[in-house]
Amino acid sequence: MQSKPLTLKILDIASVLALAIATYLALIYAPEEAMMGQVQRVFYFHIGTAWTGLLGFLFAAGLGITYLVKQDIKWDIAEVAAVEISAVFFFITIVLGSIWARPIWNTWWTWDPRLTTAAITELIYVAYFMLREGIEDPDRRARFGAVYTLIGGLSAPITFLSIRLFRTIHPVVIGSGDPNATGTFAMTPRMEVAFFFGLFAFTVIFIDLFWNRIRMGQLAAKVEQMKLNLMH
Amino acid sequence: MFPLDAPPDTSAYMIAGYTVFFIVAAIYIVSLLIRWHNLHQDMTTLEAIEKENKLKEEKLLKVEKSKTTKKSGAKKSKAVKKK
Amino acid sequence: MTTAINHQPPRPSFLKATFAVTWKDLTAEFRSHELFSAMLVFSLLVILIFNFALELDITTRQSVTAGVLWVTFAFAGTLGLNRSMAVEKDRGCLDGLLLAPVDRSAIYFGKAISNLVFMLIVEVIVLPVYSFLYNVNLFNPGLFLVILLGSIGYIAVGTLLASMAIQARTRDVLLPILLFPVAVPVLIAAVKASEGFLAGSDFSTIYAPFSLLIGYDVIFIAVAYMVFDYVVAE
Repeated sequence: MQSKPLTLKILDIASVLALAIATYLALIYAPEEAMMGQVQRVFYFHIGTAWTGLLGFLFAAGLGITYLVKQDIKWDIAEVAAVEISAVFFFITIVLGSIWARPIWNTWWTWDPRLTTAAITELIYVAYFMLREGIEDPDRRARFGAVYTLIGGLSAPITFLSIRLFRTIHPVVIGSGDPNATGTFAMTPRMEVAFFFGLFAFTVIFIDLFWNRIRMGQLAAKVEQMKLNLMH
Repeated sequence: MFPLDAPPDTSAYMIAGYTVFFIVAAIYIVSLLIRWHNLHQDMTTLEAIEKENKLKEEKLLKVEKSKTTKKSGAKKSKAVKKK
Repeated sequence: MTTAINHQPPRPSFLKATFAVTWKDLTAEFRSHELFSAMLVFSLLVILIFNFALELDITTRQSVTAGVLWVTFAFAGTLGLNRSMAVEKDRGCLDGLLLAPVDRSAIYFGKAISNLVFMLIVEVIVLPVYSFLYNVNLFNPGLFLVILLGSIGYIAVGTLLASMAIQARTRDVLLPILLFPVAVPVLIAAVKASEGFLAGSDFSTIYAPFSLLIGYDVIFIAVAYMVFDYVVAE
């Protein structure tokens, strides 16, 4: 395995720096929000991971289609990397969303469209990995993975739309505020800085993890190939 | 209607949130490192096995070759003798 | 000089191939009743369990009927899908079908239609039974249409995913895990539209979930048609 390219090493450092700055901006630089207090600060990381996770998910679907068309395993390696990292990001999104909801709406879970779709999407990711786990042939695994990311990538936005349009699920809330509110608040300029930098930082982190994960996937593919060869 | 006073103290939740974030991030990074390490070890082991196999093959080939050369050598000398 | 005689039989048309697959499934099932009885009994048991699990008094029943029905259909549908595809794999029919000189997607449509027929038959029986047990009038053309459209969407995606699931080690367990998250829009829209029709609401309120259902069906049938080849390729 070739040693890590310099660009990637630089990107690693840049990611750590970006995360550090984003943390500082979120925890110290941004002012305290008037209605919700300090817990609102989780919002910066909640949205950062949500956006990048979502884009990663759609990106994975695109990679899947490319694999089906081009039949080159490198697209599959990239797809697995994208799904895995998006899954971690979305998990963070869900947990932070839940922690944010608790003091504000007195409930660990609000069935609002974003959070619910994130949870369902997370289940799609889990299903994706369970599907791949159950298949031994690498080529078939890649094909099935691609098909499922495509199906999942199409259905998740439709899920979001349908929950938003129909609001059928009513949260049980004992406490203040409208349970269906998505926690909107007006952002002051300093908050906006934290917010946008958060988005930027998580994008950089995503790309860094993605590249690293691809390299690992390439190594894994080599190892698997060697194992198969030696068995004959 | 209460007067607009200080926001509620929700800092405990904020700390919980960020703690969870960093723990999850750490777990993921560590898992990546462990998996990378294991793959690397697998790779070196597999490469060693491959090398061994190659050496064995080469030895077998050499033995085969020397057998055939001995045979043809013997045949040649017989032919020469006959002549 | 003799001209070569083409001994190849003419390629069956797409429609013919599709209906051949469907007919095979339907006649096989007609003889053995395995799949169908299992689905039916299962559905009735699910409805029974709901009765104990939810303590449905008269007022709650009205609001909960659509949901209970669709949960029942979803579970029964999964059962049917699993069995239908597993039978193909176990008896080696799938390989046989794949050798046939037909467009692969004809196999998909054939299977999907037969799966749909099974699901619809079960639903047709469950509806009067539910009506009878809970004293709710379910004879509602709008409801029937929603059930048809919802089943189509569910089976369209389900057949594709079942074809993948049976090729994996974890087989039976895998299908619901793959299917449910992806079928959520169907369930949401179908339940909402069913509720609307049962409550006799004005169509303008039902229009949105109804069109979502149709949209979902169209999109996923198209996608399944395009991708099925990759799922059964050797």
